[in-house]
Formats: sequence, structure tokens, C-alpha cells
Amino acid sequence: MLKWAGRFAIVIYSALVFIPLILAATRMIKIVGFSPVSWVYSLELYRLSEGAIGFTFIQAIISTIATVLIATPIAWQLGRYSWKAKPLMRAILTMPFVMPAIVAAMGILAFIGPNGLGFRSDQSTHFWTLIVAHVWFNMALVIRFTEPVLSTLNRDLEDQLRLLPSGRTAFNRFRILWYPLLIPSLAAAACMTFVFSFTSFALVRWLTPLENSLETVMASVGSSAGIDNYNEYSNDLVLASSMIQFSVLLLSLWLMSWLQDKRQSRLPQVDEKSAQIKNPKGLLILIPGILFALGPMIIVALASVRIVSRDGIEWSFRAWSKAWNSDYSNIGVWEALLNSLGYAAITLIVALPLGILLALHIRHLEKSGSKFARIVDLLTLLPFAISSVMIGLGVILGIILIEPVELKEWWILPALPHIMLTTPFVVRIILAALRGLDPSYDENAQVLGMNSFERIKNIHFPLMKGPIFIAGIFTLAMSMGEFGASWVVTRFGQWDTLPVLIDQLRSRPGWDPLIQPTAAAAATVLMGITLVLFLIAEKFRATDEKGMF
Amino acid sequence: MNKNVILICAILFSAILPGCVDNSQEVTDITIVTYDVSGLSDSMLKEFEDRTGYKVNLIKLDDAGSILDHILQSKGSQTADLVLGLDNTYLQTALDAGVLIDHQATLQGIEASSLEFYNGSKAVPFDKGWICLNYDTEVVDGENLSVPTNLWNLTEDDWRGKVAIPSPMTSSPGRAFMVATIDHFANDPDNSTDWTDWWAAMNDNDIIITTGWSEAYETHYTGGYGEWTDGYIGNANIVLSYCHSPGVEAHYDEGRTKSAALDIDRSSFLQIEYIAVLEGANVIAASDFIEYLLSGEINNEMPTENFMYSVLENSDLPIENEYRANSLVPLVSAEVSSQEIAENMGSWLAKWNSAVNQG
Repeated sequence: MLKWAGRFAIVIYSALVFIPLILAATRMIKIVGFSPVSWVYSLELYRLSEGAIGFTFIQAIISTIATVLIATPIAWQLGRYSWKAKPLMRAILTMPFVMPAIVAAMGILAFIGPNGLGFRSDQSTHFWTLIVAHVWFNMALVIRFTEPVLSTLNRDLEDQLRLLPSGRTAFNRFRILWYPLLIPSLAAAACMTFVFSFTSFALVRWLTPLENSLETVMASVGSSAGIDNYNEYSNDLVLASSMIQFSVLLLSLWLMSWLQDKRQSRLPQVDEKSAQIKNPKGLLILIPGILFALGPMIIVALASVRIVSRDGIEWSFRAWSKAWNSDYSNIGVWEALLNSLGYAAITLIVALPLGILLALHIRHLEKSGSKFARIVDLLTLLPFAISSVMIGLGVILGIILIEPVELKEWWILPALPHIMLTTPFVVRIILAALRGLDPSYDENAQVLGMNSFERIKNIHFPLMKGPIFIAGIFTLAMSMGEFGASWVVTRFGQWDTLPVLIDQLRSRPGWDPLIQPTAAAAATVLMGITLVLFLIAEKFRATDEKGMF
Repeated sequence: MNKNVILICAILFSAILPGCVDNSQEVTDITIVTYDVSGLSDSMLKEFEDRTGYKVNLIKLDDAGSILDHILQSKGSQTADLVLGLDNTYLQTALDAGVLIDHQATLQGIEASSLEFYNGSKAVPFDKGWICLNYDTEVVDGENLSVPTNLWNLTEDDWRGKVAIPSPMTSSPGRAFMVATIDHFANDPDNSTDWTDWWAAMNDNDIIITTGWSEAYETHYTGGYGEWTDGYIGNANIVLSYCHSPGVEAHYDEGRTKSAALDIDRSSFLQIEYIAVLEGANVIAASDFIEYLLSGEINNEMPTENFMYSVLENSDLPIENEYRANSLVPLVSAEVSSQEIAENMGSWLAKWNSAVNQG
């Protein structure tokens, strides 16, 4: 029964992911024909896409290198040493990953803009501002991938290596012990950082407005794609961008999947308490890291009570009052919050069980030595290879083709891209936890005569309660913060979520000094909810989990 | 943990409930797809609702290009009753696509110049303004930089990287300005160059091309309100905006402004914005809204509510706060017919793109 449930989950998941995208691609190909070479060539024919390929690659590569260099020492301190408030530290350091990018953009712009440090006018800083923003976002990946390895490695190994001639220097110990140990985790983290930097949308849009990336190109022209005899170039650009993205990211994800399999440490591990010692000097690295993680969020919160105008600066809560009350231009924060919570709930109801079934099925295939294990594993990672803008576009163009009813009646529509984007995270978390289960429990249960369903109910589920809860919380947080796909989909209706509301407010002409603080107020609400969710999740996380999150 | 789980589930499920409740009402809703038209103020919409009993919903998009995309994507299954914000460079495409239908509004007092471009029953002008270049008078003061006297001045080294214009591919002011340059260079004494040569030269001179007007004016222009916003870069001393934009700045700053409009013959273009009824709409409700928008009490407020000229006869910009005094009316604006725009816009955009994409 479990096998069939897993197969059913694969069918449902594939339908959710592929059908809208295939319909959208078909619609566009019908207009411009199937010619990948001319699609790619078109990227260099238009001003709005000029240089997009090069910029996308360069910023993604440099972001990846910078993230690994900056986050690894932080992960080292967090993993190798014991700290009193470690769960809180971990929550703060990894929370940026689930924050909507628009929030980060606002915080950074407030920091460097004319009302902050004032160097925004220097265009040479724009690129590096983007890199720093990507580091802020993605350092969580490095920490989450490497900390479990660091925190449970038996310290005796290092002590023994010190006694040997080749282990006397720190460099040699790193080369002989730590490097081989960490490289799979770091490489996997680097792959995912590359993926998320490659598809970055809001940060590129706001921090490097004079540059084009493949994602911003798709967002710029996507709304005119798929229409006969109108702006046909937009179809070429969308098809080219999505094809390049898909190819590059699929390769990255295959590599990450392969590396994650290799991460399972064969070295003796011990519990966290015995592996870690105190190291007060580590605060010299951890505190700046924590401040770096908190910085943009604190700035956004402060920006919500700071009103800048020609008359000077006023500190007040007027913007909060405006944010909370809806008007004809924008719904209020409360209504947007309810929309976000509603979509998050629907996403949870669908993505969590679907992801669990997929993870169980992959694990079953792995245990039986099936070659399909890697294929199904990769299938679940596919949404990472498709940008959120393309997913939103796929939903709109695809759904319009299937059912041309008035979209405003489909309140549930924006939840579809949320489900597509969060299910892979559920799979990663649950699958990693399943891989970490001691097989002897299952073997003993089989000896006692339990069938697969009974083993799931009495063995797996009790052991997996923590990871399932974390996957659920993570699904909620990711859905609440989802922006790219929602931005595309909600433009056809009136179901604004909090991230979309924040972007709408931020995009309004700034002649009204209340506009930016109002957007910051909405962003602060979103940050607060995300922080609470993450802190709850941290309570149930075991450090030795080898999942992505 | 169980209590936490139950509490979270209760919050989430209560959030889903509003979406499950069928709150579709009898047909008393009217939905308008538009960009961020500030002229549709809360008080104005509330007044309409109170008078008519309709409930107004807005679908807000980025600009006129996004609006056109939306109504074309939704052809056959529109999500709105009215489209507000297509201008005279976008309107013909919507008309040709057949997504606009006849209104039933009774209208009077619209001045003739606003009806010259289109005078049919499928779209009604509601505001207008001349698109032209604005410059920062504190920088372009004759000492640091001289006021340009012709468009070729902007291709000189002094102006390298200092001119910001929204793209005609995505912005209605940008499109209008492109049309103006076509007319300008078709009528200038130099027969050896045309408008694409100018744009190519501007491209070589590092012109800043943005997606929309807001980004050009707010993020890049040194002469406007943008310097108080967080994303401000301030690297352009000339920007494409409206000839009356300095008047708007003065209106909001008690008569003070450091921006001025550049009056070069045929480099400005009279942009007219329209409101139209979409296929499948509640025509009566939509027509009621059109009548309301074109009524004297509302439309005469366009200069202060929407920062554009009214289309009604005998209307003008307010004198207070030096609004009118700082608002240039160009002596000679571009003259391009609706037919010419409809027939050639596609090829013009392609040529523009080629010109600015060289190198």
C-alpha cells in the first residue's frame, strides 16, 4: 500500500509541477516556434535583456564563493563549541533564508540610502551590495549543511591527530581531517546557494536596478507572453531565460543531491554535549554574524517608525496606522496577513503529506537499491530548477488555457505555486531524517512481525514527529514569505499576500513620505511572524539531523 | 507541543475560512484595472460608492504596458469592468484586439483637443499632459551644465550617463517620447540623420533606460522628490517626465522647485489617458463610473489629485503654490496621428530597440 501511495504522490506532484509549465511553454512555442538557438540569441537583441546571462552567472558565482567564505567560520563556531543560547543563535543566523527578499532589500536600501550611510549614489557599490544581500540570505544554507557534521564529530579524533607529526599544525589538521569531512557538505551548500542566487528576483530588482538578470527579464516581459500577434519577442525571452535556468540549475541540483548522499559521515560520531567544548573567543565571530543577520531586519523595523520628508525626520507610528487600514489602492496588513495565512494553511495541508509520501517512497527505493531512487529524488528537486517567476507564469498561462473562467473566483489559485515551491523542502527535511534513522529499529520490528503500515505507525512516525513538525513550520514560513510566483499570479486577482503588499507599497511613487514606512510596517509584521515560527521550529530540531534544514 | 500544534492549526484554519465562504454578492461590484493612478483617491471612490451603491475594487498594476498585457491576456474572460490608464500610444492596440466595448455614459464639456486622437464610443479621455524632458536647475545652471537647446546636445560628453528615460517597450511616457523624437527628427533641418541615429548616439553616451517613469524620476533624477527616498541614486540631471512636473513639485513644496521643463520644438508629446469598458463588463455600472470621473467636480480636480490636466473645457492648473507658473505648455509639440501610431508602433519599437542595443 505504501508503494502505491508513493507512486500516487509522484503522479500528483508531477502533475502539479509539470502541467502548468508544459501548458505555458506550449502556448509560447505555438507563437514563436521551437527554436532554442534563436530564443537564446534573442536575449542579446533587446535592451531589457542585454547582458542578462553574464550578469546572472557572475553574481551567482561570486555570491556562492562569498557565502561559503563568510558563513563557514560562523558554522564552525556554532558547531564545534557549546553556547548557552545556541538554539536562539541558530534561529537568528538561519532565519534570513525564509525572509522575503523584499524585506532584505528594504533594510539594505534604508541602510545605504540617502537617509542612511549615503553611498547608494555610487553605482560601483550596487553589485557588491547585491553580493552582501545574497550572503545574508544564504549563509543559513552553509550553517545548516555543515553544522550537523561539525557538532557531532568525536573530538578524540582531532586530539589523536594532534599527537601525530602530520597533525601538529592547524593547517594540516584541516587538510587531513576537516577538509575531506566538510567538502561534501560545503559543496552541497554551495550548490544550493548558487541555485538561489541564480534565481534571485527581488534583490536584483531593487539593489541593481540598472542590471538585467534572467529572472528579472522574465518578470518584465512575462505578462505579455503567450498572446498571439502581440509582443512576440517576450515569448522568445521567457523561453530562453527559463531554458537556460532550468539546464544550469538541474545540473546544480543533481550535484547537490549526489553530494548530500555522500554527506553521511562514516566517522565515529558522538552526542553534541561530549563533542563540544567552550570557546569564549568564538564570540568574536558569532556576534558579528548575529548582528549581520539581524541588521536588515532591525533597520526595517526602525524604518517603519521613521518618516522622512522635505521637512526633516519624524518618529511616529502613523505609518503603522496607515498600514493596518486598507484603502482602495491596497488592502490592509490584516487582510493581507489573513490571505498569507490562508494560503500557508492550504499549502501545509497539501505539501506536507505529499512531501512525506514522496520522501518515504524515495527512501524505500534507496533501500531496495532501485536506480529510480536518484531519478525520483531529482524530480522532487525540480521546482528549485525553475524560477518562482516562471512557476507563477506557468500557473497563469497554463490555467488560463485549461479553464478560462474568471480568475478572481479562484481564491485558491495563488496556493498552487506555493505548493510547488514548498514540497521540495518537505522532501529534503523528511528524507534526510529518514536516512538518519537507525535501521535496526525497522529490522527488529520486521522480526516481530509488523507490516509496513504498522512499522510506520509505531516506529517511524514517533521518531519522525520532530522532523515532520519542522517541515510543517518551514512550509508555513516559506509560503508566508513567497514573493516571486505570488507577484505574478496575484496580478490577475485581488488576493494580495503580505510580501506582495509590501512590494506594492514599496513600488508606489514616493512623493508621499508615508509610503516607505508603511511598507516597512507591513514587512515588520511578516518578519515577526516568521521569527516566531522559526523559534518554535528550533525547539524541535535535533542537531544531528543531516537535512537541509 | 500538542497545545502549540492545536493553536497553530486553529489560527491557520480560521484564516482559510474567509476564502471558503461564498461572499459573491449580487452584481454591485465594479472592478477597475489600472496602474497607481492617484487620482482615484479614497475620498473620490467612497463618494462614488455612497452615491451609487456600487462597491469599487481596484486591480493595480505597474504601468500602461502592464495594463494592456493584462486585458489582452484576459481576452474572453476579463477580470475587470473598466480599464483606466491606457494612453494614446497604447489605445489602438486594445481597440484592434476587440477587448473594449461601447460605453453608455452621457458626457459633455470635454474639450476638442482631447478628442482629436480618438472620439469614438469605446474609450473616453479622462486626463492629459505633455510629456517632455525636465532638468535640475541647480546643476543645469549655465555654469556647471548649459541648458540644452537641441536634442543633439544630450549626446555630448557633458551629458554622459546623466539622462534617464523610461523604456518605450514598457512605459507609456517612454513610448510617447519615442514618438516625439520620430516627429522631431522628421522635421529638423538636418536630413542626414534620423531619430534612430539620435537614440544610438544616446546609447553610446550611456543613457539610463528604466522600466518605468517612477524609477527614472524617483531613483535617478536629482531635481525631484526622490532624494528623500531610500532607493535614490541621483545620477541623472535630466529625466523624461511631464512638462508640468515642476509645477507638481512646487505644489507640494509651497511654491519651491529646482526642476524645470525643457522646451525643444517637437520633443514633447500630448499624452491623453483613457478609461474604457471591457468586454463582459457591467456596462451600466461602468458607464456610471465614467460619468462620475468626467463630471466637473471630479475631473477638475485632476491637477491636484492625479497631477495631470483635466480634459474638460475651461479648466486649467491651479495658481496656488506656483503650480501653473512652473508648468510649461510647449510651444510646438509633436504631431503624430493615431493612424500613424497604430500602423507603425511595432516597427518603431523594433527600430528603437536596435538603436539602443548596439554594443
